[in-house]
Amino acid sequence: MNFSQKLYSSAGVVFPAFGTIAVLASSGLIDPYLAYVATSWIIFGLLGLSLDIVWGRGGLLSLGQTAFYGLGGYFGSVIAINMAPVTGNTLIWSLPAGAAFGALSAAALGYIIFYARMGSLQSTILSYTFTLLLLVLTQTFRLDVGDAVIGGDNGMSNIPGFVLGFGSAAEALTPNSAFATVVVIAAVLYFFTRWLMRSTFGRIVNCVRIDSQKTELLGYDVRKYQLLNFAYAGAIAGIAGAMFGAWSNYLNPSVFSVSEAISVPIFVLVGGLGTLAGPFLGALIIGGLSFWLGGGSVGGQTTLILGLILVLLVMYLQNGMLGGLTLVWKKFLPDSNEAARLAGAVQIDTDVLEGILKDAADHAGPAKDVSSTNLFKQFGGVIPVNKISRHFTTGRPYSIIGPNGAGKSSFLKTCVGIYKPEGGKVQLGDEDITRSQIFDRVKKGLGVKNQKPQVYGELTVLENLWVAAFSRTRNDADALVICNKILGMLGFEKQSGVEASALSHGQQQWLDIGMVLCLAPRVVFLDEPAAGMTNEETRELSLLVRTLAKHTTVVVVEHDMEFVRTLEGHVTVLHQGKVFAEGDIQTVRANERVLDIYLGRREHV
Amino acid sequence: MELDYLATVLLSSLASASILLIATIGLAVVFGLMGVINLAHGEFLMIGAYAALTTTKLGIPYILSIPVAVLITMAIGAVVEILVIRRLYGRIFDTMLATWGISMAFLQLAVLIFGTVTPGIGMPQYNFQIGDYSLAGYPILMIGVAALMMAFVYFLMTKTVYGMKARASIQEPEMARAIGIQSARVNTMTFAIGCGLAGFAGAVLLPIVPATPSMGSVFVIKAFLTVVVAGPVTLTGSALAAIGLGGGASVTASFLTSVAGDAFFFLITATLLWLYPLGISAKWRWKM
Amino acid sequence: MFKIKNATGGYGKTVIIRNVTLEVKAGEIVALLGRNGVGKSTVMRYATGLIPAMEGSVEIDGQPAPDASAKRAQMGLGYVPQGRYVFPRMTVTENIAVAAASNGHDHKAAVAEAMKNFPLLVSKANDLAGGLSGGQQQVLALARALAIQPKILLLDEPTEGVQPSIIDEIAGILKRINKERGISILVAEQDLDFCLSIAERAYVMEKGSIRLETDRDSLRNDKALQQELLGV
Repeated sequence: MNFSQKLYSSAGVVFPAFGTIAVLASSGLIDPYLAYVATSWIIFGLLGLSLDIVWGRGGLLSLGQTAFYGLGGYFGSVIAINMAPVTGNTLIWSLPAGAAFGALSAAALGYIIFYARMGSLQSTILSYTFTLLLLVLTQTFRLDVGDAVIGGDNGMSNIPGFVLGFGSAAEALTPNSAFATVVVIAAVLYFFTRWLMRSTFGRIVNCVRIDSQKTELLGYDVRKYQLLNFAYAGAIAGIAGAMFGAWSNYLNPSVFSVSEAISVPIFVLVGGLGTLAGPFLGALIIGGLSFWLGGGSVGGQTTLILGLILVLLVMYLQNGMLGGLTLVWKKFLPDSNEAARLAGAVQIDTDVLEGILKDAADHAGPAKDVSSTNLFKQFGGVIPVNKISRHFTTGRPYSIIGPNGAGKSSFLKTCVGIYKPEGGKVQLGDEDITRSQIFDRVKKGLGVKNQKPQVYGELTVLENLWVAAFSRTRNDADALVICNKILGMLGFEKQSGVEASALSHGQQQWLDIGMVLCLAPRVVFLDEPAAGMTNEETRELSLLVRTLAKHTTVVVVEHDMEFVRTLEGHVTVLHQGKVFAEGDIQTVRANERVLDIYLGRREHV
Repeated sequence: MELDYLATVLLSSLASASILLIATIGLAVVFGLMGVINLAHGEFLMIGAYAALTTTKLGIPYILSIPVAVLITMAIGAVVEILVIRRLYGRIFDTMLATWGISMAFLQLAVLIFGTVTPGIGMPQYNFQIGDYSLAGYPILMIGVAALMMAFVYFLMTKTVYGMKARASIQEPEMARAIGIQSARVNTMTFAIGCGLAGFAGAVLLPIVPATPSMGSVFVIKAFLTVVVAGPVTLTGSALAAIGLGGGASVTASFLTSVAGDAFFFLITATLLWLYPLGISAKWRWKM
Repeated sequence: MFKIKNATGGYGKTVIIRNVTLEVKAGEIVALLGRNGVGKSTVMRYATGLIPAMEGSVEIDGQPAPDASAKRAQMGLGYVPQGRYVFPRMTVTENIAVAAASNGHDHKAAVAEAMKNFPLLVSKANDLAGGLSGGQQQVLALARALAIQPKILLLDEPTEGVQPSIIDEIAGILKRINKERGISILVAEQDLDFCLSIAERAYVMEKGSIRLETDRDSLRNDKALQQELLGV
């Protein structure tokens, strides 16, 4: 790695650290009025960070961040007003109180959004409605809490400023020192957030954004991660709100206003979505622009210019300042995906595979049977799964075949939990899992590979495998050991740092299969695994499936009769949602009625 | 409670629901037929109002100023579609943000051109008498205007070739192209019509809602929520949502406070979104 | 009359079809055979311009086809997609009328003609297309494609999910329009009987490429070939 590459990979630490130091060094020298105004930019940057966590990392454009900001501000300030006379220091009260209230209100809203599994547009609108509801309600909300007077649209005044000292003699900081304090707090929160987003938690939040269904199929309770992430962002917004209260010494319902709500996505977009540092840059640029253009926050042509900037950004610079810079910089770095083209053909070494499978059996227990009883699924007038009863066990692979529209994939999806059946039941081992959540089934030993390769395109090959392995081990080091074994088996050692999106279709299929193996499943469902593979790859796949079936229960949905023949297992023919024929492949191939449904001949059907 | 009071409340609530519906229809057309949420809709309403106001000031009768407002907003709408919206199809959040930017720019331009305060044209004087209560006639007239607008849009979308093309383009975009529909042109037309309807709303509501640069934002939020609650059967869904939400809010406001009315609006919206994530009309089998 | 030359295409970066070349002569019915996932639908979508060409070109009636799907339709390319994709919230009449009107034909006449050709649709004329059964939707999709007055008609799995009586009816209609109006037809199918009953010539696809070209008789008589090609 050369200097540029090293700097690139740690840019998120180096530049913000330099920035913080530079700002702190100059904080004592600048004009107090500028310091006062600039403090608000940092606070807005922090508010932007909270949206970036939810939107850039979590994938939900929330227009509710100003709601958590306002609520945190109000609550933190109420506590600070009452407690400041006791301790002097205001921040030890307002910041934790703001964080707690912001997190709680975000968790309440997030619970509705994520646990009702709302669509993205509805989630955005609901978060916006929440903000608007607060805007309306706070207009007339009057309440005295000790010394604090919440006065409806008159707002709440007498909020103490930034006081660091303790005791009744402690004085509020000068604008310059308050600025420095806010910068330090923001920097601490930024670096903590960056660490969190690179930790296992943050990595899984990333995965949920990229492909939420796949993440659930890897055994993660995605809603829990989404909710936690949302609540964490709510806490950040709450802290920002509490600092805003201390900065302006006054809060009124306009914090919930429409223009506040939209300014946050603008900060994020200007700086760069998902960059974490971007929102600060965005708030600085927008704030600075307004400062020089219009003298202060509003006035002049600021709105006009902001509006045009937003339009141009959305159209031409979607990645924002930092995102755009990153792309340019990346062009000058060696292509890390170069290795994708050098990958050789996959060769399954049965000894290695057996080793992995035995190892998995030691950790995850023996293979489990899976069975369906009178399983029934209906879409309007179509019944793709019509009372199918099957029992699958270990020893040899089970294939499910049938012409187009026979209900093969639907049967598989109903067993896995992607479709909820209207009748019948599904059992895994001795347990009835008919009503279990998908991630729960996976934890109990179900492994699924869907028809299309589901890989996280922006993550590297190794990271893809790690997410799967970590789901089982819950331990970083153990997960890496498993990943390396699977990498070796797939012949991907040299490609471990390649982004999955750079792999060919066939390679992605193998990576997906590798991810399923990392889970050490006790039952494996494969939906058309041979689709899009070359003849050589199909041969290797057949070997893998046969070896797999010796150790676990394997069910393959397949169209390719030739591939099914090489599996030498049990075959079930589905037709119009029902079991049409079964037996080994020779029996099925000799069955005239099966030929009829395949060829569309109508004599027997 | 007296019957005449109740009738007054109901009638004026229906009138305010109609006003909401008038302000919403254009947005509903654009969302329902293009899948675009136009957050600058309120500013088109404002442009329509100023166009009508300026035209009347030039001595042209108010009634003739309305078509002028429609033409001006349609033209601006077509330009916005060609310059911005067209490049963002399929990116619903990006179009939302871009139209938000356009709305900010238009708002500020209006401030620059017209200043923040402008005189209204005054409400045509006509009052109703129901029992002991007197009602202004013009808002009641809006019930009829809303019904006419609905009928017009329904006719346009179901009986004309353009309407069929527009509906085909949103229902199955690929097949629409495959059978020879030039969806880009259809979309420009749809967006222009949506903006024209906003301009019509601004002009026709001018006697009730005086022209100010920020008048659009008063409507756009509620109009926007109404459309999202309505779902895929745009026109009927929006009418029902406007009457339920707008009318309900207005009834609540007349018995309690205006804040309670707004709170009612937002709370019911949130509840409906929770219960019907794809809109209340997601399972209806109607054309529009 | 209709040619696809060296077609290479797919979705995003994924190549699904490679170097596919085929031709349908004037007044001919040609089948495109192959089992699920070999790329038949992708060839069809390539031909209609719904997926961009990575390489290769399409020729309609001796003219190079423009990129835009709508322009190809106006040149006389009719398309019945797999899964039918009728406009669900439009009536049967509107589905047909919009197709005719978009290509400059009189839509009332087009609807009248369709009702004559497809008596099945008459009683459903004012029903929303989304409420029709699969077979009825298939017939409607065919009627819609014919309303643009095509010179070449592409059909993608017209028998999928359709009951046998309607399959026979569709086969009859196709043969008739081919004979009476001289419309060339390219049909992608897995249903061998259906193809054998209408097509004189067939291309067989495997793994995204044309593997061979054959005629009706050799396909009908060669059981081994049938089994191998269709994966039975």
